[in-house]
Amino acid sequence: MAEFHKSDVEKLLDGVLPWPAVQDMMRSPKDPDRFDKYVEILQSRVPWPERILLPLTPALFIVAKDGARIVKCRCGHEFGDYRVNWKLAALIHVRADEASLREVYRGRETPDPAWIQVREYVCPGCGSQLEVEAVPRGCPPDFEFLPDLDSFYRDWLGRPLPDAQAFEDRTLEVVRSWRRDPAPAPRRKA
Amino acid sequence: MTTDGILSLKEQLGRNDELFARTGHLFGLERLARKESDPGTYEAVWQILSSVCNTAWVAGCKVSSSPIAAEGGDALWALHLPTGEAICISRGITAHPGLISDMIRHFIELGYEEYPGFHQGDIFENNDPHYGGIHAPDFDMAMPIFYQDRLVAWASAVSHANDVGSVTPGSIGFLNPDCYSDGVCISMEKVGEKDRYFPWYEMRMRSRTRTPDWVMGDARGRLAGCLIVRERLTRVIEKYGLDFFLEASREYVEDSRRYAVSRIRTQAVPGRLRKSQFKDLAMKGKRVLLPKQDVDCLFNLPMELEVRPDATIRISLRGASGTVPFGENISPVALKSGLLNGYSHVVGFDMFNSGPTAAWRMETPPEGSWANPFPKDFSASSGVAWAPAVLWVSSLYEVMGRLYHARGFVEEMAAGAATTMTAEFSGINQQGVYVAGLTLEQASNGQPARGFADGENSAWCIYTANADFGNAEISELFYPVLFLGRNIEPDSSGYGQHRGGLGHTAVWLVHGTPGIEYQCGCAGIRSKTIANHGMFGAYPAFPDRPAFAHETNLNERIAERLPLVHERGDPDDPDLARNIRATRLETGVIAPFVTPEPLVEGDLIIHPVAGAQSMGDPLERDPAAVAADLDRGWTRPWVAEDVYGVVAKPDGVEWKVDEAATRARREQIRSERRARAIPFRQWWEQERERVAARQDMDPAVLQMWRSSMALSPDYGAELRAFWDLPSDFEF
Repeated sequence: MAEFHKSDVEKLLDGVLPWPAVQDMMRSPKDPDRFDKYVEILQSRVPWPERILLPLTPALFIVAKDGARIVKCRCGHEFGDYRVNWKLAALIHVRADEASLREVYRGRETPDPAWIQVREYVCPGCGSQLEVEAVPRGCPPDFEFLPDLDSFYRDWLGRPLPDAQAFEDRTLEVVRSWRRDPAPAPRRKA
Repeated sequence: MTTDGILSLKEQLGRNDELFARTGHLFGLERLARKESDPGTYEAVWQILSSVCNTAWVAGCKVSSSPIAAEGGDALWALHLPTGEAICISRGITAHPGLISDMIRHFIELGYEEYPGFHQGDIFENNDPHYGGIHAPDFDMAMPIFYQDRLVAWASAVSHANDVGSVTPGSIGFLNPDCYSDGVCISMEKVGEKDRYFPWYEMRMRSRTRTPDWVMGDARGRLAGCLIVRERLTRVIEKYGLDFFLEASREYVEDSRRYAVSRIRTQAVPGRLRKSQFKDLAMKGKRVLLPKQDVDCLFNLPMELEVRPDATIRISLRGASGTVPFGENISPVALKSGLLNGYSHVVGFDMFNSGPTAAWRMETPPEGSWANPFPKDFSASSGVAWAPAVLWVSSLYEVMGRLYHARGFVEEMAAGAATTMTAEFSGINQQGVYVAGLTLEQASNGQPARGFADGENSAWCIYTANADFGNAEISELFYPVLFLGRNIEPDSSGYGQHRGGLGHTAVWLVHGTPGIEYQCGCAGIRSKTIANHGMFGAYPAFPDRPAFAHETNLNERIAERLPLVHERGDPDDPDLARNIRATRLETGVIAPFVTPEPLVEGDLIIHPVAGAQSMGDPLERDPAAVAADLDRGWTRPWVAEDVYGVVAKPDGVEWKVDEAATRARREQIRSERRARAIPFRQWWEQERERVAARQDMDPAVLQMWRSSMALSPDYGAELRAFWDLPSDFEF
């Protein structure tokens, strides 16, 4: 069994582990405590105290907070219940016309806005670009990853989380609540 | 059961299925006895079998002598259990072992063991998608291997022929309107015996394909490789014993299944992943074959993958859109085999065989969709079935990358495969010979971004592990073109913290021919949309748009020693338009297409190949990496400043980063993002009005939604629920 130190994993994450060492890491049996080392590193890099339960992206984490499990950006901005697509709590900028597309794609490289729109999801806290979608009008946002946290901790890591929750997608519940409640006044012009 | 107590192959299949269902282990192998008792021999024999298959690949490709096999290695050899499961597979076009495994199983299920029977030296083939082939140019072949009168294994091969006699020349039949135009059809046939093809097989290839010497060369290459497998396997059995081989070969497959499941359990996370992908096929107003093809199409290729608590995988394609009157339809068997290819690169790679997919439950795609055409549209064409499949394979890489990221194994991540645009020439070449065939340019997408670094550029292709774009000089021997350029295409992977490997662009001068067609074919391209999404905030790669010029002033420019065309140049001001005059000049054509008239001496073609996906917010890219790309011409100054937020100036031969100005520029871009973006709910309120009104949606988009929602009612219901549309709403 290869032994990889936390500092090796840290260098890997930062892209500074020498290539031969990365190849060794790829070839060798995986370190069984990698997840714990990884989360320790990530936890030490965020300015907030809530426990990271699972990294979703380089910027977003599922954390335990006051008995709930929420998505939180590394900057501290909170997006709510992890079982609701976090995009519903993000800022969005959509490039659906030639002029806005041309800020990113020019000339022959510009896609056709009648076929596709580019959706940029932005963290309201720090302005990080969290995901980009290229989809035709009508496509709901992808809920890229809904982890089954309780099965993961209980069955795969052998240390169950307190307060088990149902593994379910609650995104449409939020959308339904929007239908019931009057929309707030727009903060900005579209 | 036979008189000596050995089960028939059909009985073995039934017993294997029952044992797997009951025990959860392939063949009921709860213990790997041979591995446990003699791990050294177990491992050594695996390496020998692997070497045998690779030897067949090397020899078979050279016997083939066709450009695709000999120069590109686009073929494969494998060894199978008597019931079809792949034990061991060579390098090469690794999307096929699942197909061949199912083909052998189907031979058995169809009763071929009884009639026409299986004998040493028999050759069986299929290239018919109705019975599990992927598309006609890929000939799947299998030979039973007997030892002491007992069928102990199968050798198999596949090779991609240059021309299969479809309605348009070549092997990428994207323009085929229906299966009747897909070319020569071998429908689950015995095509030879006594180690020889039947004479009428060769007669059929000679009368029904345009490059019969190459097609028969490929056939002989397949046969040569299979004979090598048979001969070498016989030596292995003689050395290690029949019992050892029969038992160990089954253990290799179960071992692989365990490896893949264990890798999921130790390196992934249970849960549900989703990924939308869309592929355009804009053909309205172009040269087509039948009136029904004067239409624009959009494919919906959604992926839902669930990692279940028992570490098995469920994969769904609900929401797949309807069939198209072109060659881009695929059968579920072929689609699954394509996914096995991708899965073997990121999950089940220890011993590449059938084992990993045993842990999948792949839901059958909706009947009548591009991914399951024949139940409702028996005449659908599969001329280039790989075209949509590769986007689904790409999604698989990406979703697995998300799982590995969550668990911390970032060294295993891949942001997603690139898509491919093929180049085929057909006409008289410089030797006066009729040719139809692919160049290998498409096998050069570059490697996707990894979790910790950029991908490698070009001459690399994740889904064809042995990809090689071939030597330019060899292409110049086969086809009447001269390379004026072969360049890394800047920014062709999209933009991200770690960028994908960049694709490349070939610039060809047509030379030495009375006339030749250039077919910019579809093997997964997107030309109106952008489908290579990238992950974690990266921008997708831009569309593929080739260029060409007909009846040019190139010779005058050569005589006057004026600048020619060696690369694409600025997307707003391409070198072709800047330097060349022509009676027809197309600088950014929506692909795919076939040139409207034959190209002649002095004409030019610019053929770009997309890069692979990027990963991460571009503002987090190391400024030094941006500067290094500027030095090499791999990114453009406007992209560096406006997308990456890197302020740099040329200083002699190198670009120097202004670090303070870069920090300020990046902070400015972040502020601009927050200022221009709006809360999701506000956008949702506005967007649902536009969706409900079908506003600014191309007819191809509307048609795609209609078919997706009709073929997958649950997908349609979810879409309506998300936009708060009436339950009877249709696009």
